[in-house]
Amino acid sequence: MNIIIDKKIFSEAVHIAARFADKKNASLPALSSILIIAGDDGIKMRATNLETGIDLKLAGEMKDEGVVALPALLLQQIASSLSPNGTLSLEHTGDIVSIMSGSGKSSIKTVAYDDFPSIPFPENPKNKIVLPGVLLKNLFTSIASCASPSTIRPELASIYLSIEGGVLTAVATDSFRLAEKKVPLVQKGTQGKFLIPAKNAFDIAAALPDEDIIISFDEHQCAFVSPSGMLVSRLTNAVYPDYRQIIPKESIVEAIVLRKDFEAALRQTTIFSDSFQKVVLHFDPKKGQLALFAKNTDIGESSEALTAKVSGNALDISFNHRYLSAALALTPAESITLMAAGPGRPLVIKGVGDTSLLYLVSPMNQ
Amino acid sequence: MDKRNLQELWEYVLTQVELSISSANFKTWFSNSFIVKIGEDGVVQIGVPSQFFKDWYVKKFNTLLLKIFRDVSYEFRNIEYVIVKDERRKPPKESRSSAAGALSLPLDEFYINKSDNLNPRYTFDTFVIGSFNALAHTAAQAALTRPGIAYNPLFIYGDTGRGKTHLIQAIGNQFKKSYPGRKAFYLTSEKFAVDYTDALQAGTANRFKDRYRQYDLLIMDDIQFLSGKDKTQEELFHLFNALRDTNKQIIFSSDRSPAAIPDIAERLKGRLASGMAVDISEPDTESRMEIVRKKAAAHGFLFSDEVIEHVATVAPGSIRELEGMINYVVCQAQAKGTSPDIAEVRNALRSFAKPAKNVSVKHVVGKVAEFYGIDEESVYEKTRRREVVRPRQVIMFLLREDFNVSYPTIGTKLGGRDHTTVIHSCEKIKKDIVVDTDLAKEIQSIRSILV
Repeated sequence: MNIIIDKKIFSEAVHIAARFADKKNASLPALSSILIIAGDDGIKMRATNLETGIDLKLAGEMKDEGVVALPALLLQQIASSLSPNGTLSLEHTGDIVSIMSGSGKSSIKTVAYDDFPSIPFPENPKNKIVLPGVLLKNLFTSIASCASPSTIRPELASIYLSIEGGVLTAVATDSFRLAEKKVPLVQKGTQGKFLIPAKNAFDIAAALPDEDIIISFDEHQCAFVSPSGMLVSRLTNAVYPDYRQIIPKESIVEAIVLRKDFEAALRQTTIFSDSFQKVVLHFDPKKGQLALFAKNTDIGESSEALTAKVSGNALDISFNHRYLSAALALTPAESITLMAAGPGRPLVIKGVGDTSLLYLVSPMNQ
Repeated sequence: MDKRNLQELWEYVLTQVELSISSANFKTWFSNSFIVKIGEDGVVQIGVPSQFFKDWYVKKFNTLLLKIFRDVSYEFRNIEYVIVKDERRKPPKESRSSAAGALSLPLDEFYINKSDNLNPRYTFDTFVIGSFNALAHTAAQAALTRPGIAYNPLFIYGDTGRGKTHLIQAIGNQFKKSYPGRKAFYLTSEKFAVDYTDALQAGTANRFKDRYRQYDLLIMDDIQFLSGKDKTQEELFHLFNALRDTNKQIIFSSDRSPAAIPDIAERLKGRLASGMAVDISEPDTESRMEIVRKKAAAHGFLFSDEVIEHVATVAPGSIRELEGMINYVVCQAQAKGTSPDIAEVRNALRSFAKPAKNVSVKHVVGKVAEFYGIDEESVYEKTRRREVVRPRQVIMFLLREDFNVSYPTIGTKLGGRDHTTVIHSCEKIKKDIVVDTDLAKEIQSIRSILV
């Protein structure tokens, strides 16, 4: 193999592909390496950790065909140290690959590539939707953090995606809070639902280009295809709870506050929250206030009262503050609505004028 | 080694595999697999975690594994690879500490079986039977003992929150238990309509048809939402015929009787009513108390009799609203940690007690007269002109049914009529509504004006 690639293109591709190589669990050397292919389809980089996989196309000049696997970590280090301009060439002879850029030359020992697994593509991609990559990235990164970090219950460590009636709904919950985001689709007609592991969604979001992406899926895996390459992830094979049932249908008190007020007050009060990270919300319809209160027996206490449009009954209810502030990252709305259904019942947070988001957070014991 | 002991067999296979491939490969590919089952025909099913594994097994290890299996016995003819559910290979338990103190969302209660859409929470064990729903319950049992033959279709109707969904889902769950191997499916009519339009747009209408025709029991909830959707109705009509001709049980629910659903094609209407149509009426006080007792017990609380009676009677309304009140009381009890006493409950439920609907007779008369385009005064007069008689009867009916005004009062207010006249009028409208869909529609729209 002998190829010449622009340094910038090379290093970007290496950084993206390296995310998908298995760097920790290196029992099989092929899994912790990047496969570089120069063939009929042009130049490609491949990597997989058997959960997700990537097949990336690279622009470059191909002088001679060939396949070679190189350690991902090493390539990553080389890519980070490259100067941004100019090109580099990769030449494969024997079990050595020489990387030459300008006056420098490094030789790397290759990894046996016959152990490198094939990356599966959904066999029957009749289920297809098209979505701009920017949108999908945003959706995945914002919502994946709401999924459970533990894999005890695989369905809760996943993002639930359902396509119905021309709308893509993404849901994630760790059983303490739940986020639901809706995205309208251009082409209607497709329907289906699947669970993608949140960890994989994070990696995929980081690697997606901004252009339109074709998402196809079958029972066991999904693929994200764009002109610059293909990404696949296995799907979680489990049943997702019917989360709509836990969304309170009515509320006893509702408060509308300015986002920046709420953000600032939350930042202020959380300094004083205890080891359980508890913050008490006090809805006061008489004064038209939403008050935040936190107390730590070792440090002291703090309270903040915000002007708010409050309608309903007075209510005191406490939450883990991290779950409250997480809601703010999910909507760009200027004002937010907090709807409480009563003591011990979950609180609903929405952005005013933002119908795409629904955030549900469970209270703490009083 | 016992060939029929799957674990032993797999362990033997693994020791053989380990000798043939590198230990890195062995660790990567074989630490998460197992034999799912061995079929009658000698096909071994091996469970693997994902498509990556499946492809690689087929490509790299199939010959090796087959050879090892054949060495054990020639009974093993072939190997199949299946991707197994995540639950089947659970990692060891981790302790969760990240969110100490927070109550978790009650997600556990809402796992729905994907293949049939049934919520396992709805069973006959939790279904309270009273005089108000005894008939519906009996019909359901009959449909279960002789599905497709006894009552087909079974049509259950009643106002919102009477337990229709609970009953029909319980039938589905019981059906699954009694007839393993047969397929039940539950959906709402709205879902059916959405599915149908999606299938049309995607050009897969045929697949749609086939999908619904495979079920042995089809349960469709809230059928009244199909009113006005002609194409979907037509599709349902054909589906209905196909299922009924093959003696598959069909169950519908609606908030009104088949005849009273507006904008439904006549041929479909006739078919809906062709089996057994039963209604669930309003629950009586005893049944409501029983419901409160059962629901509270399900939450792990024992309420005193007077608390139960208070919760059951404080506000009339659907069982759903009753559940809301029970949840509220239970929630408060959980927060306090003790069983609630009557004074607390009274206090807590004050907000649920609805103010009695107050309405002036004049207001109703005015609105109805306006609706029918007659002179308001003529209602009070002793005239028997046809265009006045009907609206007057409707007024009496509405005052009685919706606003609970007593028969004698209605009589006096409407120009000094005898209360028996009023009773007759109410009964007449009640009877007519069932057969006369135009009248039902009229009353529906008047009701919406009056709210």
